[in-house]
Amino acid sequence: MKFKSTLALAVAAGIIASCSDKNDPALDNPGNFILAVSPAASTGVADYLLTAQNLDTGTISTAGNGVEQDGTYRYYVTHNGKFFSMLYGQGNPGAVTAYNIQNGKLTKLTNFQTETVQAFAPVNDDLLLFKISRSLTAPTSSWYKVNTNSLTISSEGTVNTLDVTGLGELAHFTWIKQVGTKLFAPYQTINDRSFNTAYPNQASIAIYNYADMKLDKVITDKRTSFIGAYFTDGLSVQENGDIYGYSPAAATTGGTISTTKPSAILKITSGTTEFDQSYFFDVEAASGGMNITSWLYLGNNTYVVNAAAKAEKTSGFPAGKRVGIVNVVDKTYKAVTGMPDVASISNLTKTNYSPKDGKTGYIGVNLTDGTSYIYKIDASTQTATRGLKVEGGSVTAVQNLK
Amino acid sequence: MQINKILHVGLLCLLTFCSWAQQTGGSLIGTIRNAEGQALPGASVSLAGRSRGTFASSEGTYRLDNISAGKHTVVISFVGYQKISQVVYLQDGKPTRLDVNLKPESNDLDVVTIVGRTEVQEVNRQSFNVTAIDAKQLYNSTLDLSSALDRVSGVRVRESGGVGSNFNLSLNGFSGSRIRYFIDGVPMDNFGSSFQINNIPINIAERVEVYKGVVPIWLGSDALGGAINIVTGDRFRNYVDASYSFGSFNTHRSVVNAAVTSKSGFTVRLNAFQNYSNNNYKVTVDAADIYTGAYTPNAVVRRFHDTYHNETVIASVGVVGKKFADQLLFGITLGKNYKELQTGARMVAVFGGWHRRGNIVMPTLKYRKTDLIKGLDVTLNANYNLGKEQNIDTLSARFDWYGNSKPNPNGEGRGRSLSKYGNNNGLVTATANYKLSDRQAIAVSNVFSTFYRKGTDAFNESFTQGDVRPRLAKNVLGVGYTYDEKDKWITSIFGKYLYQNTPGQPSFNKLGFGVAASYFPTPGLQLKASYEQANRLPEANELFGDVELVQGNLSLKPEQSQNINVGFNYSFTAKDVHRFLINANAIYRYSDNYIYSRFNQNQSSLVLDNLDGVFTLGGEGEVRYSYKKFVSAGATLTYQKLENRQQYVFDSNGNLVLSPVYKDQMPNIPYFFGNADASVTLRDLGQKGSVLNIGYNMLYVHKFWLYWPSRGGDKLSIPQQVSHDLNAVYSLKNGKYNIGLEVRNITDNRLYDNFSLQKPGRGFYINLRYFFNSFNI
Repeated sequence: MKFKSTLALAVAAGIIASCSDKNDPALDNPGNFILAVSPAASTGVADYLLTAQNLDTGTISTAGNGVEQDGTYRYYVTHNGKFFSMLYGQGNPGAVTAYNIQNGKLTKLTNFQTETVQAFAPVNDDLLLFKISRSLTAPTSSWYKVNTNSLTISSEGTVNTLDVTGLGELAHFTWIKQVGTKLFAPYQTINDRSFNTAYPNQASIAIYNYADMKLDKVITDKRTSFIGAYFTDGLSVQENGDIYGYSPAAATTGGTISTTKPSAILKITSGTTEFDQSYFFDVEAASGGMNITSWLYLGNNTYVVNAAAKAEKTSGFPAGKRVGIVNVVDKTYKAVTGMPDVASISNLTKTNYSPKDGKTGYIGVNLTDGTSYIYKIDASTQTATRGLKVEGGSVTAVQNLK
Repeated sequence: MQINKILHVGLLCLLTFCSWAQQTGGSLIGTIRNAEGQALPGASVSLAGRSRGTFASSEGTYRLDNISAGKHTVVISFVGYQKISQVVYLQDGKPTRLDVNLKPESNDLDVVTIVGRTEVQEVNRQSFNVTAIDAKQLYNSTLDLSSALDRVSGVRVRESGGVGSNFNLSLNGFSGSRIRYFIDGVPMDNFGSSFQINNIPINIAERVEVYKGVVPIWLGSDALGGAINIVTGDRFRNYVDASYSFGSFNTHRSVVNAAVTSKSGFTVRLNAFQNYSNNNYKVTVDAADIYTGAYTPNAVVRRFHDTYHNETVIASVGVVGKKFADQLLFGITLGKNYKELQTGARMVAVFGGWHRRGNIVMPTLKYRKTDLIKGLDVTLNANYNLGKEQNIDTLSARFDWYGNSKPNPNGEGRGRSLSKYGNNNGLVTATANYKLSDRQAIAVSNVFSTFYRKGTDAFNESFTQGDVRPRLAKNVLGVGYTYDEKDKWITSIFGKYLYQNTPGQPSFNKLGFGVAASYFPTPGLQLKASYEQANRLPEANELFGDVELVQGNLSLKPEQSQNINVGFNYSFTAKDVHRFLINANAIYRYSDNYIYSRFNQNQSSLVLDNLDGVFTLGGEGEVRYSYKKFVSAGATLTYQKLENRQQYVFDSNGNLVLSPVYKDQMPNIPYFFGNADASVTLRDLGQKGSVLNIGYNMLYVHKFWLYWPSRGGDKLSIPQQVSHDLNAVYSLKNGKYNIGLEVRNITDNRLYDNFSLQKPGRGFYINLRYFFNSFNI
């Protein structure tokens, strides 16, 4: 009899075990929008890629659906009709997965191996990846050109990011951007792994020739602090070729924000490789103390920006919870209405989507109660409208793939 | 009179809270001979469940004095002979004679009618949820401790590769430092990489005890989910046990255990062992081209940078059987290990130069005295580990699976490293047991330990230099009371007081308690239940970081868990020749303030936090069958449901948010697994006194998800694993010469304990062992 009960336990265990293989595709939502969603958990966290038909309404969930990624802290970029799931962190090389969309479903094209990197950007048909040094004693940073047609690394090389600054500090590229045949790499100067600097009051861009990745020149402007932020794109190229860059004024020394400059926007006129000294947009002054922490270009010189009040910036990696509309030509900052109360926001996504119609942007809003929504921002009316509800995790990226 | 205490029985005594009789009682005398009437010097005589025992003299005679009057079970054993138990009734002031003729083990195919319980069985009969592995039965195998533990229900050992690879033992779902390890009751915390259960051969142990959830106080520690105690025992006064094995992947292992003891009680003991393996087994992997990044899917390649070796010597000198000490030993443990790292957390990340080294230099002191004053037994242990660990990642290259490399700045891992540090750790443990009456005993145990880390890294000037000096002192005090009505019922209650201090920081104080009880409705049936409110204090690596990946958090709070076990053991015999053993346990765990790690915001390190915990409900069972001494077979099965009870967790911005995986099953933890084994023993094959044993072992682990089961449709998983091992051991001259052959993973299945990390395929091993104990000096 005892033997029987042991057997019964085994059988029961087997039944329970087999039950857990089930899926619940109830909230499967085929479409061309791709959302990366990360469930809040203290362990075993993976990102899930969900598709959606539109971002304006409805609900999607990670419960029983979505394409599981190997871990979280992955970063996503669309280029050349493909969606790339890039890995980041822990120093080791690993697999990048490329997908396309067929009938509203993500279809895996291939895996290929790259290094874990701190900056990547589309350049021509390539993705350029940068692995950036944080060690003064080993100041070699590596770049890799990934051909998005063959999905292999076509070439690689290194640059010395200590020599770039001439200050005895490392140039840590906040992000990289293609400008014609050049690669613009705005950087923050750092002297340790905590991103501290003795030069908190300057903005610099290293300009490389993309073809051979030779350093062309370095330009510096002392009217604001560094452009962009760690893992954050601070440069934007307009339809007419003009380039704008924002500074969150977030340089730190000894772990505290030390820059005395305001959050501001600088300009490089199309065809030149110098900061336009006749242009300066003091965002703080125009907005009553707002600091831009990331932005999304909507077209027509208009941006949706995530911003933080100056007092809300407590580290060198500020993540603003306020939303504004910036026009870089008019030098205006207008607060957006219709967003949830700032106190109820945990964070806003920084990888966002705009159809580039000059007025529409979508951003992910994760609330402190654990719920998440996509908000549609209308720059023409400076209003935010709650759209798609995302269940079962926080949104980390909003993308679209045709 | 020569007082040669049976020391392993002495340890057992600690386990069962038994102690000495209080009154001057009777004496037991006698002579031990073999079937031919020849004396058996060195045969052991002990009182079951008591701390009393002795060895037969060179004439085969023995004498035990001061035994309380009444009924006693005397256990007489000698290697190569059948152990027997005999009930005797002793009277005050009067010697009782018990002469015994032992039958050779190999000569008897009949059922043993008088069955004395082995020590392993005695351990299993405690009220605690405990499983003891009889290591002696595995001496002719090439297993290390972790592989032997993997056969215990409720235990799952996950390895990242071959010999010496990283392992993670989980016990009822708890793993890491929530499970504490002991060797002869002495905590193994901070012994370093050179002395771990994945590099200690099974031959070092006499048995291994696995306490699940509720941990008795004589294992003085703050285990949250259980404890594993390796009992080395003191097998013989004089013996040599040496073995060497060679096998696939250029694997060499050797073990020498020896002791010599003079008549006056002076003793020298030695345990030495060595493992070496290239671990160059074939794996099936997506092999990337280092230049283009393109994968060749399912490429079959050999591991090329995975050599592991370790060498350890444990030596001690001292005296046994003196008036002031049953045992007083001064010793030293010396060891080192070398380990190459072949891959990162995923097999697509390949390394070709990164390696680690470690050593252990640990002076030890062991003292034991039974009946220091009448009824009081004491032990004292002390050690200090001066060992160092090194992480060597200086090669600026990137490798592929074919062994090609290209230049890559900043080392292979997280940046170049040439670190060398010592987690120097001192330890003093003391236990005392006092028998209040025949049925009642109290015990006190105290463990004091210190930690102090020092080190440098040529590539990182701020190495080990945090805000607070990495230094702490910890004390665990346990008090217990046991009421034992022999073979009727046993109850133990105990309390543990934990204290930990770091200079300049608030100290921790934590009180835990537990109770364990069992009842024997019939001699073959035991019902048992146990409960503990267990606590675990944050340890040095959690408070100060591990100098590699983990960033310390000085504000961590102690972890807590409520652990309950309910179970039974039932053994019975059918038609005198079929013996059955069934045991089953249900377990309940509810832990909170669980210490979790997660990546910090820029992925450079892991940060730790306390959060709500995990709820576990599980069952495990074991069935064994044997027919005479000819066939033995058994199976274990474990099912455990670990449920996430963290309703609120920190999001990436440090906000506590509702977790969508609240009450989901914990991911990446095996939850349904089992073992099965069968063996056939043939005796006097070819030669009298020879034994041929052919055995089979199977492991089954059900498929489990890498990430949360409820999330995602297109998911990653760790596939079902089934592995089959076969072995044959041929022993000659009553176990003096042994030849073993093993085939592991016969079907050459691709085995994964961890996602992506493939374990070795089919391997062949031969093991030669020599055992000799019939000498005196």
